[in-house]
Amino acid sequence: MLEITNLHAQLAPASLNEQSSRGPAPGGEGKKILQGITLAVKPGEVHAVMGPNGSGKSTLAHLLAGREGYTVTEGQVRYDGKDLLALSPEERACDGVFLGFQYPVEIPGVSNLYLLRTALNAKRKRQGLPEIDAMDFLAWVKERVKQMKMDIAMLHRGVNEGFSGGEKKRNEILQMLVLEPRLMILDETDSGLDIDALKIVSEGINLMRSPQRAILLVTHYQRLLDYVKPDFVHVLARGRIVKSGGPELALELEQKGYGWLEAA
Amino acid sequence: MTALSHYEQAFEKLPAPLRESRRVHLHAFLEQGFPTTREEDWRYTDLAPLAALAYEPAAAPDARPAAALEDCEALALANGRLIRGDARKHGANEAREAAPGIPTLNAAFASGGLNLDIAAGERPQPLHLLNWLGGQTQGMTHQRHRIRLGRGAQATVVLHDHGDAAAFFSTQMLDIELDGGAQLDLIRIQDLGAAASAITRTDAALGRDARFRCLSLDLGGALVRHDVNAALTQPGASAELAGVLAPSGRSHLDLHTRLDHRAPHGTSRETFRAILADRAHGVFNGKVVVHPGAQKTDSEQHVASLLLSPQAEIDAKPELEIYNDDVKCAHGATCGQLDESALYYLRSRGLTLETARNLLLFTFAHEVLGRIPLASARRLAERLLLARLPGGKALEELL
Repeated sequence: MLEITNLHAQLAPASLNEQSSRGPAPGGEGKKILQGITLAVKPGEVHAVMGPNGSGKSTLAHLLAGREGYTVTEGQVRYDGKDLLALSPEERACDGVFLGFQYPVEIPGVSNLYLLRTALNAKRKRQGLPEIDAMDFLAWVKERVKQMKMDIAMLHRGVNEGFSGGEKKRNEILQMLVLEPRLMILDETDSGLDIDALKIVSEGINLMRSPQRAILLVTHYQRLLDYVKPDFVHVLARGRIVKSGGPELALELEQKGYGWLEAA
Repeated sequence: MTALSHYEQAFEKLPAPLRESRRVHLHAFLEQGFPTTREEDWRYTDLAPLAALAYEPAAAPDARPAAALEDCEALALANGRLIRGDARKHGANEAREAAPGIPTLNAAFASGGLNLDIAAGERPQPLHLLNWLGGQTQGMTHQRHRIRLGRGAQATVVLHDHGDAAAFFSTQMLDIELDGGAQLDLIRIQDLGAAASAITRTDAALGRDARFRCLSLDLGGALVRHDVNAALTQPGASAELAGVLAPSGRSHLDLHTRLDHRAPHGTSRETFRAILADRAHGVFNGKVVVHPGAQKTDSEQHVASLLLSPQAEIDAKPELEIYNDDVKCAHGATCGQLDESALYYLRSRGLTLETARNLLLFTFAHEVLGRIPLASARRLAERLLLARLPGGKALEELL
């Protein structure tokens, strides 16, 4: 489903459009972030990508989703055999790639419901399907809002507007449940969640596990992996995968930290 | 100065009785001419290209004013002439005196405008003034409107300027008097053609506890200048000026506001949003004067601008003169581009770049347009704004 081969990437030269707070830091152009990532994800699999801060985890997640501001200098990414990097972020989304943001953006004035409907219809359009019936859509969304234990009234509020950190993460998973992507990349979805929210979010993720879908969990901590069991665990350090293994690797990291791998 | 002789000749074609009463205004105009960029108030707006052209008073045009809002009384004018509606609300509105500069030009040539007199305590149906301007290249129309609200009266007026593609020149003076406790919602929609030049000036005098709310949307015009002045002359008056400026192309749009707090316990709020595309140039100058004796004045001014292209420009300046200690005056101005992270977030959910941009622009404007109290006028303003955005029509279901 996803094949990353020898991927090298660095920050693109800062342009006028790249000065947002969450984007790549200005002044860091040319800095090499990914230095030869090779990773294959098959349908049905759950991969965890772990690593210390600054190891390139989030960059990898955003590169796959299509954030501007990075230059790929070497290597390639294939998604269903196609060149993923050649697609715009919206094309990737409509083809079934979903990124759960570490810092979901607040967009006052655009309701959650409007975003969900527009996003779903964009995807259906690319698939050659007609727009979804309004009543069917509402039923579809409401069921998922309940699954995420959210208040139905949130649908009419602005996207993430005034949401707590935990609510924002739940909203990411809600969007994922509504859009039913095939490749889910979850960037530090567990950070900032209390134990109850972590359980709800994990249950949401587990709902999406299926033989046709794959999940890439990007995380700093092992805690999420207690609830969403990965098939493979990879450790990223200085832009490379320095170790891969089964779920037991995550437990080892929890005990020993990252130091022994970074030094390797 | 020689170009001014043209106005002298045009004036001689007016009916004799008008010439007699208005010659004083013509002379005042000829003496001073058009304001120049040497004057502080006109620093950013150069009228020289306008002054160089010989505009003729416009003939009766073959106009097709827009459709009236369904819940409003309609008054349709074409270049100042009444096309449909209540003739009692239409008048020449002679100026007794005129401020120097453009107001004198307007006073010399004024044709018909709105003349609205609402008696004390009355609450008439909202009025939609369909003010059509154009039809003739180098034509000009000058209008003087008057709105008077008696004690406790309440009114909503939608002043809707629109026209065709002609390089047309118009001026509009708007005199507003609000008696004690009167409340006026003035909704201004400026949707003139891309070649139009328009200069307007609003002078509102607010009585005790009167409330003046002016919500505006500016879309069209090649050269547009608005002066909006409100004087809070009695205690407890409040003025709210808010609007969206959305020029594109090579449009130049200049908004000068002036709030005079002359009495205690006055409140004023200003909120403007500018969206500047292409090579558009926006100017905002917000003057607030708190006069001696206007204690407990509470004034706020906020201006936010989005520059959509590197060639777009905005000059935003607050100007506070406070002759009093016991006041609250706040102001702030921000300027930036569309939030890249919000764009990326929307695109990562499958929205095209164009849809994502339009959505963010719309929400930026909606924070002000959403305040338009008359729902039909609010929808009209938002629909017109969306129609100006490339691909914006797709967003109409948002409304």
